[in-house]
This record gives sequence, structure tokens and C-alpha cells, in this order.
Amino acid sequence: MAVSRRPLAKRLLIHAALLPFLIFALFPFYHMTLTSLKQDRELYDRHAVPLIIKQGPTLEHYTKLLWDTEFMTWTKNSLLVTSCATAISVIIGTIAAYAIARLRFFGVGSFGTGIFVTYLVPTSLLFLPLAQVVNWVGLADSKWALVLTYPTFLVPFCTWLLMGYFRTVPKEVEECAMVDGATRIQALWRVVLPIAIPGLVCAVLFAFTLSWNEFIYALTFTSSSEQITASVGVTSELIRGDIYFWGSLMAGAVLGSVPIVVVYVFFLDYYVAGLTAGALK
Amino acid sequence: MAVRADEIPVARGRSRVATRMSAWLDRESVLGPLFITPAMILIAVLVAYPFVMALYFAMSNSFIGRPSEFIGIKNFVKLWDSDVFRQTFQNAFVFTGIAVGFKVLLGIILALLLNEQLWFKRLIRGAVLLPWVIPTALSTLGWWWMFNSLYSVVNWTGISLGIMDPPGPNWLGQRYYAMAAVITVNVWRGLPFFAITILAGLVSIPKELYEAAHSDGAGPLARFWYITLPLLRPVLAVVILFSTILTFGDFNIVYVLTHGGPINSTHLFATLSRMLAIDVGRLGEGAAVSLYLFPLLVFVVWAQLRFVRKQVY
Amino acid sequence: MDRITRRRFLTTSAGLAGILAARVPPARGQQREISYLCWNNFAPASDKKLAEIGQRFTKDTGIKLKIDHISHMGPQQAKYAAEVQTQAGHDLVEMRMHFPWLYEPQLVDVTDVVVEMEKKYGKVLSSGYEGAYVHGVWRAVPQYHGMFVATYREDLFKKASLKVPDTWEDLYVVGKELKKMGNPVGIPISQNYDSISTAGPVLWSFGGMEVDKDGKTVRINSPGTVQAIEWYKKMFRDCMEPEVLSWSDASNNESIQQGKAGWIHNPVSAYIVAKQRKLITADGMNHHRSLGGPQGRHETDTPRHIGIWKFSKNVEPAKEWIRYLIGKKEVYDEYIMAGDAFNLPVYEKIQDHPVLKTDPKYAALKGEGVQYHTYGWPAPASDKVQLITNSYILPNMIAKAVTGTSTQDSIAWADNEMKKIVAG
Repeated sequence: MAVSRRPLAKRLLIHAALLPFLIFALFPFYHMTLTSLKQDRELYDRHAVPLIIKQGPTLEHYTKLLWDTEFMTWTKNSLLVTSCATAISVIIGTIAAYAIARLRFFGVGSFGTGIFVTYLVPTSLLFLPLAQVVNWVGLADSKWALVLTYPTFLVPFCTWLLMGYFRTVPKEVEECAMVDGATRIQALWRVVLPIAIPGLVCAVLFAFTLSWNEFIYALTFTSSSEQITASVGVTSELIRGDIYFWGSLMAGAVLGSVPIVVVYVFFLDYYVAGLTAGALK
Repeated sequence: MAVRADEIPVARGRSRVATRMSAWLDRESVLGPLFITPAMILIAVLVAYPFVMALYFAMSNSFIGRPSEFIGIKNFVKLWDSDVFRQTFQNAFVFTGIAVGFKVLLGIILALLLNEQLWFKRLIRGAVLLPWVIPTALSTLGWWWMFNSLYSVVNWTGISLGIMDPPGPNWLGQRYYAMAAVITVNVWRGLPFFAITILAGLVSIPKELYEAAHSDGAGPLARFWYITLPLLRPVLAVVILFSTILTFGDFNIVYVLTHGGPINSTHLFATLSRMLAIDVGRLGEGAAVSLYLFPLLVFVVWAQLRFVRKQVY
Repeated sequence: MDRITRRRFLTTSAGLAGILAARVPPARGQQREISYLCWNNFAPASDKKLAEIGQRFTKDTGIKLKIDHISHMGPQQAKYAAEVQTQAGHDLVEMRMHFPWLYEPQLVDVTDVVVEMEKKYGKVLSSGYEGAYVHGVWRAVPQYHGMFVATYREDLFKKASLKVPDTWEDLYVVGKELKKMGNPVGIPISQNYDSISTAGPVLWSFGGMEVDKDGKTVRINSPGTVQAIEWYKKMFRDCMEPEVLSWSDASNNESIQQGKAGWIHNPVSAYIVAKQRKLITADGMNHHRSLGGPQGRHETDTPRHIGIWKFSKNVEPAKEWIRYLIGKKEVYDEYIMAGDAFNLPVYEKIQDHPVLKTDPKYAALKGEGVQYHTYGWPAPASDKVQLITNSYILPNMIAKAVTGTSTQDSIAWADNEMKKIVAG
């Protein structure tokens, strides 16, 4: 089925069929960004056209967001929490995945099942008792509470993802290294991990994305304006009583997504590869 | 295998304890448990223990800031008397059923389209995956504005195209419309996950099967039904399983878009649980609501695993 | 005690020392330090002024003050819950409406401070009383309030020579004309707080009530309620549009701001925001006194108070901050002025405050002769009464009545629901 044999009409048809999907996927972002650049006068004018800016764009919503709220603090918090939680989870997940994929020991089977079962316990079930645990260790209303609790859903995911990758590393490579005198740990560090780097990158990316996206723990474990993450801040602090600052809300939504979009654009192929690999387990 | 002298882990200068330690660590039966220990501790302390705590809360009359007593299954029973809870229960099934259904259907279609030879393949894939990557709470804000009662662009478009009468429905203020809105956002957010994963499944189907069927005279529809679909089953099973779990337990979308309203018609277990426990203060009832999730999930997993095992030999 | 030992243990163990160091309460007897958790004010300038006042307070008294802000939405509930559960957190917390009832066991008795304030400024308004005076003890010090008031399009009224209404009956008369002009009245009848905020005064003005003073007897089934429902029915039919059945808290603001509604019932935020956003309707908006009925002139109010957690180790310094912020007239005045009429004094003698003169449209906010209440009046704000409010039984009853259910049946339904809640 070489490309050149496909009639042009059919290809055009396929792209046309894709168009509604693309519009559906991208329109909300377009609208969000557009709204964040509209002047208040046009924004709240019922008779204005919502699809374009007629009265000239403005950056006032962005400046209001950055100067009048603690948006920079929220973003810093998100970055800090996400980086730490990702690092911790990938490390724990890597060694756990290696153990399940490569080593034989007592309980390996049940541990594997255990990891899977953990995934069945959603965050919306655990958030209440975890709030108590967080209070007990003195991390109430602190972003460190998130660093502590995020690994609970990141580790099972990373472990599962990396298990698959480790299984694809040929056993011979490892055995070679060990015959050459390396210990298991050295073999892992020097031989297996370098081969599994695509998998590790995937794990880091997904952990980063899932962590940045997390909301219910962040909403419950952090409250003060200094401790909250970007998602919580934008959705709570730009509404005062019955006054909604729509322009800044949209600006916040746009800016709050920027870090993840940057990462995404650079590592797009890894995202696709990760989801693909996940599908084929 | 010749070994160079300097590659042998050198024992000079290293104590016997260190060498013993390193040899001991080399044993699978030691390294294995050691490597899984951090994960085990994490799960035991921060998943298993809180789960038990949730059970305890649910079986007590816990209220914020006041001492609590054990009351058995009273909370679970009392919830059934509550209009709000029964509505939530129904909402969860309606929401999950319709949303996952749409995601499967549209996911397969989109995957089939993406499987073709495309111009700007990378760009298109990137665009399609974008809704899944952006933080849900933030993108839902965008949808909130799109469904706003006075300024909704959805209504504006509908009216301009002539398919709606002005002023158009108040999406987030009316029962069934609000549910439709919430489902739409969930489908929008989850579709990329389905599409890309199913695409992976499609790509792994050997082309020879299609060619053989083609030469046997099978049309595209027959090829889809008898080759594609059966071979996609394992992938579909996995994806539907995860999506069902996540959709049942969804919080972000409903919380930001409707807060459970109007008149509780979009409340899910997660949002109702939070409202009862934190807004009202009734920890016991809130925990009981969220615990209703667990047997449902177990059932869903069991049903799907059975189904998969039947189809995949 | 158990928790404190655990925390001390963790503080000294190496790993978490760095993280937790910042959380060890610094008040170890040397420098006095207090912390105050307050809400993001509707007027951002007010928050800035508060920070300023806080710094002056430190200079004048030597007590260090840390002010934290929190959004009044989701995070606030979780935060109060967390502080109560851990018995640790801020010394002072801002409370709204009847929250002091919800957290009564956790709040310090501040009767001495309130008595001082009342000596200076006159009695606390009824709504502040209802919110913060719990079982014979003041659990929080009333700070300011933001009441509901009638917001209307004065320019449209003048154009059609309509009389400014003084009673709910008057509103019906002008409402009919407004609807004919295409600028209907905008009172929500849906599951939100604005609906309750209007239904309450209407009910009270006709002599009805939900639960009686004793907090136990459900009195919704009464002639006053019948009159209120009949009023809503004719308003819905002749003066409003069906969209009010699906309105949110912001809908009435937006409706009058973008030129549709001719009359709404709302706090002063609708006008202030229109002014800030330079909307064309801003100039035509004005306010008038709350409407009255056969049984008096009642109005919904959202008082805000400052409470002190019992677990605080700095109760006396905390009280000093309250005495500084509210007790010193110049400071209190400054603070109110920064609030742009969002925050108004909640003490009788100083109701007619200079801030009302900053804009002629604020004149009606003087509020003489109006009785202010929190939700659920006249019942004291116990758990059960608050649950009745939070279940939106009152607006639901009205919604049923205006969409076809008979008045008697709607009342019977509400009566049943309320009795269920009161019975527990």
C-alpha cells in the first residue's frame, strides 16, 4: 500500500474527516487565549462576536494576574512539587520495576498484583483519610504534603511503565556484564538503565504531567495563598464573592498550562511512545 | 572469557565487610525485596493505612472538630434515604456509561483516521493529544466560559448557524444540559488517550491479514469487523478498564464546571464526598460516600478481566 | 498531647528537620508573634490597607503580625477543618455569617472585647449578633458587613416615570412595566445563595419563617408563607423571565450589568464592578432602601467577624490586634474607607460612615430602619438550621410553586423536608 497509489481524493477526504476532531480538540484553547487578550469592554458585551477581537487586544488581564495575585508563587509551588514528586517516584518506581521484571524472590508475584490493585484505589477515595495523615505529620496546609502524597499514584504508574521497558532489555546484556565481574547493582546502573532511557524519559514525562494535573489533593491539603498550586490558585482566587474575573481566569488558565505545553512540545514523540507502549502490555 | 586485571572489583583497600556486603546485595533474594521496599512502605503507609482509616471514618459519626463514636453501617444505610445520594449514584453511572461509550466510539474512528498516511502527521498527533496533557482544572475553566449563561460561544455559534433559538440553553443551570456539558468536557479530555492507545493497537495488527482478507474478497467493513475489532479487543479492554475507573472517580471537571449542581444533577461520588466532609463537616458520611466507589471498581475490574480472558486466549 | 510529642520528635529527626523547622511555633516566650488568616477581600485595596495597618500595629505594640489570605471558595473550608483537626494553625481567623456556631467549641470567648466595642460604637447590628453570639457568649468579634440592597436602573425608571418601590407590592407594580419594556426584574429562583438571600426577606416581610426561635419547631406552614409564595408566583408570571430558574450567583449581576435586568436584589458588588469595568450601564444604576412588607422591613446580611482559636497560645496579643484594628476609630475608619463600600461598619452608631459619601450612589446603603438578619432567622444558627439553608429547601419550594405545583403542596413538601432535617 504505497503512498503514491492512494488517490488524492481519498486523502483529502481523510483530512477533511479529521478536521472536526481537530477543531473540537483545539477550539477551547483558542477561545481561552482569545478571551484572555480581550478588553473587558468587549469581553462583557453580549453583542460582540466571541470568535475574534474587534476592539484591540490588551495585556491587562495578564498584568493583573501577575501583579495583583500570587500567581508566580503558585507556579513556583507547582514546579517545586512536581519536580520533587517526579524525582522521588521515578527513583522508587525504577528499582521496584527492575525487581519485578528481573529478579526472582519471595513475593514478587503478589507485589506485582499489589501495585495494580493500588491503582484501583482512586485519589477521590483516599483524600479524606490522607488529610488526617498529613495533619498528623505536621504538613497541614503545606506543599510538602503534596510531595509526600503524590508518589502514591505516581509510583504504581511508573513501576508499571518501566516494568515493560525492562522486560525488553535482553537478559544477555546484563548477564554479560555480571560475568565480567559487575555486581547486579552495577549492571543495573551501567548497562540496563542506559538502554532503558527512553522508558525513563517516558516515566518522567508522564509523572510530570500527572503531577501537574493533580487537583483534589492540592485542593484539600493546601489552602493559604502561599502554599497552593497553580491549578488551585487560578480556580479559587480569581472569584471573589459573586465577581468573576473572567479575563484573568482565562489568562491564568493559559499561563498555568505553559510549562506543561513547553515540555510536551519538546518531548511529543516520547508521549506517544509511552501511551503506545502502555497499550501493548 | 578473559578478564582484565583491573576490571575485577578490587579487594585491596576494601574491607572484608564491604565485600561481604556487596556480595550479599548481589543475591536476588536480598536485592529484590530491598528494591521493592520503598514502594512497599509508601503503599502501606499512604494507601493501605488511609484506606482502613476511611473505613473507620465511614463507620463513625465523625464531624470536624468533635469527638466521634463508632456507629457501624448506619452511614451507609442512611445515605440511601438521601435524595442527593441516590441522584449521585445514578449520575455516576450515567456519566461514566455515556462518556466512556463516546470515547470508545470516537476513539476508534479517530484512531482509524490517524492510522492513514497523513500530511503533517506529527503536528496532527500533537494537536490531538493536547487536551489530555493540559491540566484538567485549567482547561475546564475554558469550557466554563464557553458554557457561560450569558456569553456562551457555544450558544452564539448555535444561534448563528440557526440550530438554536436565542438565547440558547443555560447549559450549566439546567439538569440534563449540565450533564451533557460535563460529559462533553470529559470526552474532550479523554478522547486523545483512547485514540493514541487504540492507534498503537491498530499499528500492531499485521498487514498481511488485511491483504489476505482483501484477496479473499472481503470489503473494508468486513475487514474491520472480522479482523480489526477482534484484534483490538485486548487494547480496548485495557483502555476501557482504566478509563472507567478514572471516569467513575472523576472530580476536577464536575467541581470546576458545576460544583455538583444544578440541584445535584451532576454530583459524582468524589464531589459529593468532598462537599459532605469538608463543606458541611460530616466526615463520616463523606467517607461513606467515597467508599461506595470501591466495590463498584472491584466489580468493574472483575467484569472486564473476565471478559478479556474470554476473548484473549 | 500525643500529637505535640509526635511533632517534636519529627522536628528533631534529621530528615524532616529542614522541612518542618518553619512550622514550629516561634512564640517561645521571647518575641510575641501572632498570625491572622483572613479572606481575599472583594476590594483588593482593602487587603493592601490591612497589610499596612498590620505593619503599624507591629511598630506600635512590638507584636509581630503575619497575615495570610485565603480564597473563600473550596480552600477555605478545608483550611478551617485542617486547623481544627490538627489543633494548630493561625491565632486569629476571619469568620463569616454563622460560622462561629459551626466552630463554637473551638473559639475563644471574646465577650470582653465586644463589650468594649459596643461601648464605643453602639450595639452590634442584629445580623452580627445572630452570627457571632452563640449560646450566651460572643465567639467572635463583629468586624463589618455587606448587606443585600436593591439595585435598579434609575435611568430606565426615570424614562418610564416609574415610582421607586418601597414595598414588595410596589415592586410588583413597577415590575410589570419593566418587563413590558424588555428589562424584567431579576430575582433568581434556583439552588444558589442569592435565591435564599431574596426569599428570606420576602418571607420575613410577610410574617413567615422557616424554623422558630426555639430552633426546633418548623413553622414554614403559615399564612405568611402563603402570601410570600403568591407574591413570587405573580412576579414570575408578570415581571420576570423563566431563565431565573437556572441562574447562578453571578447571573443577576451580569444581567443588570449588560443591560437586561431593570431591578435586582444584590450586594453593592454589581454596581462597583460595573463602575470598575466602565460598562455603559454603570451610570444608570443606583440603589434604594430595602423593601418592606406588612410585617416589617427585613434584609439579608453577610456579617464578617474575627475569631480566635482556643488552641492559640497568644490569645491576649490576638485580642490586642482586634482592639487595634476595630477598636481604634481612626484605624477602623481607614480600613473601612479602603473597602470601597464593600465592607460597612456593623455597629449601630457608626452606620452612616464617610465611605458612603464617596459616591452618591451609596446613599441608600445607610440602612436606617432595616432589620438585618442572617439566613435561617429567627432560629439560632445551629447545625440543623444551617443544613436546611444549605439544602436550598426554601428556593426549591418556591421553584416548585412557580412552575405549577400548588401553593399548598409546595409548602407541605418544604414542611416535610425541614421536619426531617430537624429530627436528625
